[in-house]
Amino acid sequence: MEYNAAYVERKAMAAGFDEAVAEVFAGRTSYLKIANAKIDSIVTMDERNAFLFVTKGKRVFRTNIDRIEPGSIGRAIERAKLGVARSVPKDDYYGIADGPFRYGTARKPDRAIAEYDDSTLVDVAQSAINAATAHGADSVAGTLIMATGSAEIETSGGVSARDDSASARLSLRAFRGGLSAQSVAVATRMRELDTDATAAKTVEYIRMASGFGRIRSGTYDVIYAQQPAGLLLSMANEMACIGSVETGGFLTGKLGKEIADRNVMLYDDGKSADLVGSGRFDAEGHPTQRNRLIGGGRLLTYLHNHSTSVKYKTESTGNAGLVMPGPNEMVLEHGNTKKSLDSLVRSVDRGVLVTNTWYTRFSNYLTGDFSTVPRDIAVYIERGEPRFAIKQLQVSSATGIRISDNMIRMLKAMSRAANDTVQTASWDSDGSFKTPSVLVEGVKITTA
Amino acid sequence: MEGHAGLAEHAVAYAERRGFDYAEAFIESYTGTFYAVEQGALNSSSYFEKTGIRLRLIRKGRLHVFATNRLDRRTLERAIEGSGGFSGADTGLSEESVQRASYRIREKRVADGPRILEDLVALDKTLGGERHVKFRSVYGGAGRTTSLMVNSEGSRIESSVPRAEVFVSMIVGSGGQTRQRVLQLGGVGGYEAIEPTGIETRALDEARTLLNVMEHGVTLSGSRLRSIKNVVISPEIAGIAAHESVGHPDEADRVFLREAAQAGTSYLNRDNLGMGIGSERVSIIDDPTIKGSFGFYLYDDEGVRARPRKLVTNGAQDELLMNREYASVLGTRSNGASRSDSYEHEPIVRMANTYLKPGGATHEELISEAGNGVYIKSFMEWNIDDTRSFSRYQGSEAYLIENRRLGRPVKNYVLETTTQRFWHAVRLVDNEFELYLGNCGKGEPMQGVPVTMGGAGALLSL
Repeated sequence: MEYNAAYVERKAMAAGFDEAVAEVFAGRTSYLKIANAKIDSIVTMDERNAFLFVTKGKRVFRTNIDRIEPGSIGRAIERAKLGVARSVPKDDYYGIADGPFRYGTARKPDRAIAEYDDSTLVDVAQSAINAATAHGADSVAGTLIMATGSAEIETSGGVSARDDSASARLSLRAFRGGLSAQSVAVATRMRELDTDATAAKTVEYIRMASGFGRIRSGTYDVIYAQQPAGLLLSMANEMACIGSVETGGFLTGKLGKEIADRNVMLYDDGKSADLVGSGRFDAEGHPTQRNRLIGGGRLLTYLHNHSTSVKYKTESTGNAGLVMPGPNEMVLEHGNTKKSLDSLVRSVDRGVLVTNTWYTRFSNYLTGDFSTVPRDIAVYIERGEPRFAIKQLQVSSATGIRISDNMIRMLKAMSRAANDTVQTASWDSDGSFKTPSVLVEGVKITTA
Repeated sequence: MEGHAGLAEHAVAYAERRGFDYAEAFIESYTGTFYAVEQGALNSSSYFEKTGIRLRLIRKGRLHVFATNRLDRRTLERAIEGSGGFSGADTGLSEESVQRASYRIREKRVADGPRILEDLVALDKTLGGERHVKFRSVYGGAGRTTSLMVNSEGSRIESSVPRAEVFVSMIVGSGGQTRQRVLQLGGVGGYEAIEPTGIETRALDEARTLLNVMEHGVTLSGSRLRSIKNVVISPEIAGIAAHESVGHPDEADRVFLREAAQAGTSYLNRDNLGMGIGSERVSIIDDPTIKGSFGFYLYDDEGVRARPRKLVTNGAQDELLMNREYASVLGTRSNGASRSDSYEHEPIVRMANTYLKPGGATHEELISEAGNGVYIKSFMEWNIDDTRSFSRYQGSEAYLIENRRLGRPVKNYVLETTTQRFWHAVRLVDNEFELYLGNCGKGEPMQGVPVTMGGAGALLSL
């Protein structure tokens, strides 16, 4: 007897639930840490986890299964029976997706990643350290992550599917002459993880500036490099999820409304195989999709699972979430692009190139007012030329500037982009994103 | 846990036989419930139960960590055998006395899942009945974490700690304006940590306060804002500032750049330890041993006994937060700051309960001494730079101070300044003491550990 998702789903339905979704995830993920230009440590997680979602009437319940063996499965089902019985109805629940579905060709994870071991990690990391040093970094820190895994799902809606994945992510933070810069490369193919190019790009940000200088608090045109652009814009994907709409986010009440520059095309992509954040199916087995959220300057759709799509009389966007939808990977395309980051810089009269941000915090999710802090080098631009690295504080390597903006205003002021799209990620976010560097006009900056 | 003790001991012994200089096994079991009620709809009703093991192995300075929920000897043996080499690493551990201890924190009242759900539904309904509360989300849960740590030096620590918490987010609107507030309440313990009457009262008070700020608050001009020199901060503001601009930069792994590509660096470095952080009125402490607090523990994940850490004493940087690795670097003993958020992740240097030590003044004296200025009571938006030198706290609830008295609410006060200016501006510290909950994020993968922050209020003359 094989104890898998199908076994769990059958047992759950036999226990009298109206619906059941069983998911089993097995995988291995390693984190190699780089500190002070040396490999510091390797952390590996190797796990098999299962989850069970059940409904009875309008009552819903979710639990995990500690071990995928009959005793633990049986206890989880008993817990679920009790949980459902002692819960309260979710009156706006309308069931899981009705399958079966067609998913297309099964994905074949890159064996070079899927079969990694410690020596693979060490080789890639050491290559990245050497490259950063060769390109001029005084020191380098970072993380190399490799992950391989499989997901299987079985639902009472007729879904029976499996997906395999493998991915790699290299984050490098280089230090040179009191400045720092960080780049993150993500890939589903080992050959696409270019350690030398990642190291070169990281150090190149630092080399863009000659010397240090201070700026005044005021309004500037801001170029966000790919990493901060992705980090900020992926907030739109989160806020497009219908749960965020219902609980008050900056896209609440904005469906069909003009919320962005007409050249902004923003997608939530769970489908494209090259994206680390993609998969064949969502949490109820519905096929994932590439959904255009923003086009022609307008918000085109919210993100739904089956139940919320019924509630709002629309179609699932393949974003389940049980019981509420979640975002996939943010992809930005822009209709007004300059041929490179340098060209974009040359188009700015008075501005700041921001290479990395963190601590993005909202004072009010409904209005979309937020502030964020440039973490690494920020370069002052004047008459199309990078002038100096901004350094407001004497005693610290911090840039000492802060950006305060509003998400809708930012989307509307995103007038152009560079032709430098990459898939990247940030320490400050769970997901990954695919975006070019973008220009946002008229951004408020305060200084220390 | 007893059933898995043999597995932990076997793993440590096996690693020793395979030539590791240090081996540690940490088995953890978690059970808990979680509920989410959003705008009147039950959007999550769940129960989790998970047990797993983490091994930390050091050989010739190379640190390997392996975590799994496959609780069999062969899986662990393979992991130990497969922990390969890499050059240049120099992880060492401080000398610590062998500890053998067991402690279990009991709930005064059991945090029964359905009862929590009932309370959340009632709280959602109460908030929904407030005309000006436009959006509300209430989350809550309770659980117990039981762990056993054994290491190759003979230490053995067993612990069992329950936690319960409720999280409330609401957006209040009036006259075309909206303001948002989040509240996090709870602690180590059972149902007593999330007693519903207190939470409901607090949530309603906060909702009405937001309304008062919107309807009666003044919007100050830029020049008026810049002219404000005297600022009274509440324990909530002092707490977030102590956490962000003192606690984090005092984490030794930031100071020595192990977290440089993840949670960031510090304005401190090996050469400026002991530097002046603030006025002599400022003393900041991180203490894991406060009973009932969200950040409570008695032994850290490396089996080091917890104790209060003096981060700043009379304005000068004092202790760093350390685990055994950085105590070794500094040639001293660990002060027990090694924590993980679960067996799945490596323990790293963390805070627990960080606070501004109370002084002798009263809150009324702070207001009176300020004369004219602003009292900032709570915040919504905050952030800080990589080195922890330049922070911002946006006033959710703030009031003018005029002629030594509290005046009208202020809608747009933002306290944005450097760490040095902030703490050197402290002229008076009051005798209040409150702690506020948080889940502090650090590491990669991101680990959120339960903490509190707070202490006393203070008068700043900027």
